[in-house]
Amino acid sequence: MTGKEPISLGRKILYAICGLGLLSALLRLFLGLGATTNLNDAYPWGLWISFDVLAGVALAGGGFTMAATIYIFNLKKFEPLLRPAKLSAFLGYLMFIIGLTLDLGQPWRIYHPMIMWNPHSVLFEVAWCVMLYTTVLALDLFIIGLERYGKESWVKFFRDIYLVLVVAGVILSTLHQSSLGALYLLLPEKMSDLWYSQAIGPLFFTSAVIGGMSVIVLESLISAWAYKRKPEMSILPSFAKGLSLVLLVYFCMKVTDLYARGATVWVFDKAHFFFYLELFGTVALPAILLSFPEIRNTQRGLYLGAGLSAFGVVLNRFNVSLTSYGGYRAFSYFPSIFEIIITISLIAAAILIFDLGTRYLPLYKSELSGEAG
Amino acid sequence: MSKAMLIDTTKCIGCRACQVACKSWNDLKAERATFSETWSNPRFLSSHQYNRIIFQEIQRPDGQFQWHFISRRCMHCLDPACESVCPVGAIQKLKDGPVVYDDGRCIGCRYCMMACPFQVPKFEWESAVPLVRKCTFCPERQAEGLAPACATVCPTGALTFGERSQLLKEGHRRIGANPGRYHPEVYGEKIVGGTSKLYLTAVSFEELGLNHRGFRTDLGDVPYGIYGRQWMAKVPWVALTVGGLAVGLHYINKRRAEIQAQEHKED
Repeated sequence: MTGKEPISLGRKILYAICGLGLLSALLRLFLGLGATTNLNDAYPWGLWISFDVLAGVALAGGGFTMAATIYIFNLKKFEPLLRPAKLSAFLGYLMFIIGLTLDLGQPWRIYHPMIMWNPHSVLFEVAWCVMLYTTVLALDLFIIGLERYGKESWVKFFRDIYLVLVVAGVILSTLHQSSLGALYLLLPEKMSDLWYSQAIGPLFFTSAVIGGMSVIVLESLISAWAYKRKPEMSILPSFAKGLSLVLLVYFCMKVTDLYARGATVWVFDKAHFFFYLELFGTVALPAILLSFPEIRNTQRGLYLGAGLSAFGVVLNRFNVSLTSYGGYRAFSYFPSIFEIIITISLIAAAILIFDLGTRYLPLYKSELSGEAG
Repeated sequence: MSKAMLIDTTKCIGCRACQVACKSWNDLKAERATFSETWSNPRFLSSHQYNRIIFQEIQRPDGQFQWHFISRRCMHCLDPACESVCPVGAIQKLKDGPVVYDDGRCIGCRYCMMACPFQVPKFEWESAVPLVRKCTFCPERQAEGLAPACATVCPTGALTFGERSQLLKEGHRRIGANPGRYHPEVYGEKIVGGTSKLYLTAVSFEELGLNHRGFRTDLGDVPYGIYGRQWMAKVPWVALTVGGLAVGLHYINKRRAEIQAQEHKED
């Protein structure tokens, strides 16, 4: 791929969406949240928190999951998936930060948690972890950039201390992925008992691993299709087997948790519909599908399994943050057109930058030769 | 010594003088009143409405209809959830009683609004530079030795300002002296660890039908902030454990791979 070919139709559409998003973001900044969103005192948190923040961070869990797979569990055969995962994780966090900035009432004060501390606040910890982890991801991409420009001595320096970055990334991810769930520990009376749980932290962490792994599979398949490469069918099925195992673990955790709390599971209403869809349609079903070699050895099977589980993670975050809170108030909430455009344009921007990265960065090069000792 | 307010709803006549006094002391913008199925006006607390009286008509078990007037405002919890969750420490419980908010710190994340068990903090949605607003318990008046604006104007003595311990005693004295007149519980004495607003009601909040409208009775006696603080207390240990495991597993797995490679060569 060279940068000189004419811009394809797909890219044109993505650029157009980004333009609309930029315009909406400006409107949001100048007119305020009340004028441009459907948020209100009954629903202080809406689509941006559910999708850009909660779901986005979980889907960007691929960075630390892959780093742990390669460097901590030493499963080196999966290395071709590592660098694209790092790039997509970084973009996930970047988009999350932009989304969150627009969601804040005072975006220009986003640095306040750095200098104004409240160590009692889970959100304070999330802010710090996300800040540090995004720095780790940025450093990692910086090293890849150094490689591209042939700064061998610099690359060697960073590779020598690379284990520090990996361990820091894994610690920070474990903390903030689970703490995003722990934000909801303070809302027992507002949430449906289908989702309110003392175990919400570990549940969020495990489903972030699922989100990360399924995005890695999807991203690998889709970029192979987009750049007319051969998908990594020698390793993806085995990776998907791992995904199916994590899904199984997560399913058991969910069921144990529901049983231990004695949640009212067998009723039929709107919340329960989304609950069944989440637990059976997007956790149990892909776990079963991907456990069959006949299914996970085909591209279509991988698309289906990974697609369902990624959708399941998103659905879970919406359920925790909106469905579960919905029964509490007589009011209802549906995002405004600006909220939707900005969310979609963040996804479009991430795809465009990923496209740039794929073309200009050595994403498919091995880094294990100079591995940390 | 912490100040509090005893709100004896059986003495309230629904004149809304407290609402007016609050508006004028805090210089809050007026709201056009609208007709609705209730007599309460305005309908909701908002960033320019720190207190309001809920007009609630209920039917007693004996078939009699009865009006009740319940003043709703920030409860000024002794251990507030909003203070605990604020990532920048913009909310603070003063030892004199008021839970106050620092305009200069707030980033507008609205976690306080999500976490408040009484749904009190409200947001300036219409502004491009919005802040959170709620009843302040008039700390600037208290500093001058004055009672909060609402308590000063109440014509029937439904709002009494004073020391929390003494007001609690007074509340229980009234209940004891007039058991038929009061529900035998001071709302705010123990709930979520206690609050600086203490309510006396004629019947329970369940019977008033307000237990899902700001006066929940199922909140328990534990301050909500504890759930977050317990989590935060574990964070350093989780970090150490995960870090230790990661480093350990890295070397173990690497060594194992080396040995396997060695054995492979020897074969």
